Amino acid sequence: MNSRSKTSTVLVVLTLGFCFLACSFLLNLWGHPALRAPVPLVDLAFIEPSTARLSAADLIKAKADTSNFECYTCHDKKNPVKIKYDTNEMIILPTEHQDLKMGHGRHNRNNNCFNCHNEKNLESLQTRDGRELKIEESPQLCGSCHGPTFRDWEAGVHGRVSGYWNRAMGGFERKTCPSCHDPHSPKFPPRKPAPGPHALHTAVASSPAEQEHH
Amino acid sequence: MSDSSPNPNPDSAQKPPEHGQSRRDFLRTSAVVATGVAALAAALAPLRDLKDFTTVEKFLQKYYKEMTPQDMEKVLDRIRREVEAQYGVRPTVQDLKPMNGVEFVYCLNLTRCIGCRKCVHACVAENNQSRDPEIQYIRVLRMPHGSLDLEKGEHNYDSEQVPEKNYFYMPIQCQQCRNPACVKVCPTKATWQDKDGITVIDYDWCIGCRYCEAACPYFARRFNWTRPTIPKDRLNPNMAYLGNRPRRQGVMEKCHFCIQRTRAGRYPACVEVCPAGARKFGNVLDPESEVSYILRNKRVFIQLKEEVGTSPRFYYYFDV
Repeated sequence: MNSRSKTSTVLVVLTLGFCFLACSFLLNLWGHPALRAPVPLVDLAFIEPSTARLSAADLIKAKADTSNFECYTCHDKKNPVKIKYDTNEMIILPTEHQDLKMGHGRHNRNNNCFNCHNEKNLESLQTRDGRELKIEESPQLCGSCHGPTFRDWEAGVHGRVSGYWNRAMGGFERKTCPSCHDPHSPKFPPRKPAPGPHALHTAVASSPAEQEHH
Repeated sequence: MSDSSPNPNPDSAQKPPEHGQSRRDFLRTSAVVATGVAALAAALAPLRDLKDFTTVEKFLQKYYKEMTPQDMEKVLDRIRREVEAQYGVRPTVQDLKPMNGVEFVYCLNLTRCIGCRKCVHACVAENNQSRDPEIQYIRVLRMPHGSLDLEKGEHNYDSEQVPEKNYFYMPIQCQQCRNPACVKVCPTKATWQDKDGITVIDYDWCIGCRYCEAACPYFARRFNWTRPTIPKDRLNPNMAYLGNRPRRQGVMEKCHFCIQRTRAGRYPACVEVCPAGARKFGNVLDPESEVSYILRNKRVFIQLKEEVGTSPRFYYYFDV
């Protein structure tokens, strides 16, 4: 009889224990662990592989609007362009070209449109040694001054290459210089960085006072 | 206990029969047992949150290197079914083998990197990493000019614009070492180096012990602490078995040079997204490749933490 009552005591205690655990889980007595602030999805603009800008070659390839490169809708073929300079020998841009930022090089030796544009045919380009190039053939023109960079570009080492590393398995695309550099102001423009990493353990709402304390 | 007997008589009044239990005893015992079992079940309630039960099929799966093509086809089919059930997208899952005469090398131009972190997020999108909590293979360190002391690197920079004055940026990811410490420590051989130089992980063989994470001097390996969350519309359906197929909770993952792209001849996602053209990738055994050109002609100055002897296939270089 004694052992039997012992057994029932043990069973009763166990049952009560389980009942307590069950209640605490169902009623959520201990609460959930503190939730992290949800991590927002990254803006798709940070994923897509676009270049810094669009070059004439890109526009022609995409069959987009290239009217910006049709110089003779405004200029007159018989009337050669005269470049005007101010007293500091800086170029005075006409109102139609105010969108250009002249900043090619840290000197002002490029203060002349016809270092690169062809004065005899404004819709084409010219190198300093007199080669005439189409507007989409700009790498040849850039390379006539920037030799080592052009050599790297030809090897696929300067600038963006996309497609297949294994040329036998598929094509590849090498972007031209103006796809990233504005020819009139070629320094690569700064941009907003994509969001940084979100830590696994961050307090949900840490007050400014708390942050100062840390 | 709760449903006490309706009989008002005290216990002592009932005389238990010699040969067995009384009805009251039986009722009482069964009530106790029923309550106990119910309480036990309720007490195990947290187990309801368990997901990803291993199926028999998965449990009996063979080691990657012992699988025949037929075995592999079955496994790939299972993965396709699982992904479709979870994400509603029928993926193309392939088991891509390394090519002959190919050894991958990565070169990163520290002069060109502007620290925009596009590579970080293109990698996440390509390789189906968990979005919340975040798993990212690439860390971009912002380093002050004039030093290569990694201790001075800062990867939480939150600038309005990059690049900033007096800083350069140094992205770090898996260095695909020739002598990988992570492979040496793996107790289950779930990670190994393939002949094209990529150190791969079989997520079905990983037991999540995290030895490799501790062994890696570059902090390149990531652990899935929770079940990864990937929005359905952001899942990349072009998958490889050793690459970007969705992982489960409790396994390691890391950069695998976008195996699903590079073993099919394409450039990795981080190379194609870099707006500055700072990232270069290719076959070092091909003298015509970009990486061969860089190793020949550029000031390749560093294999990160050269002194630990891991001999990375990831080179940092400067222009000029």
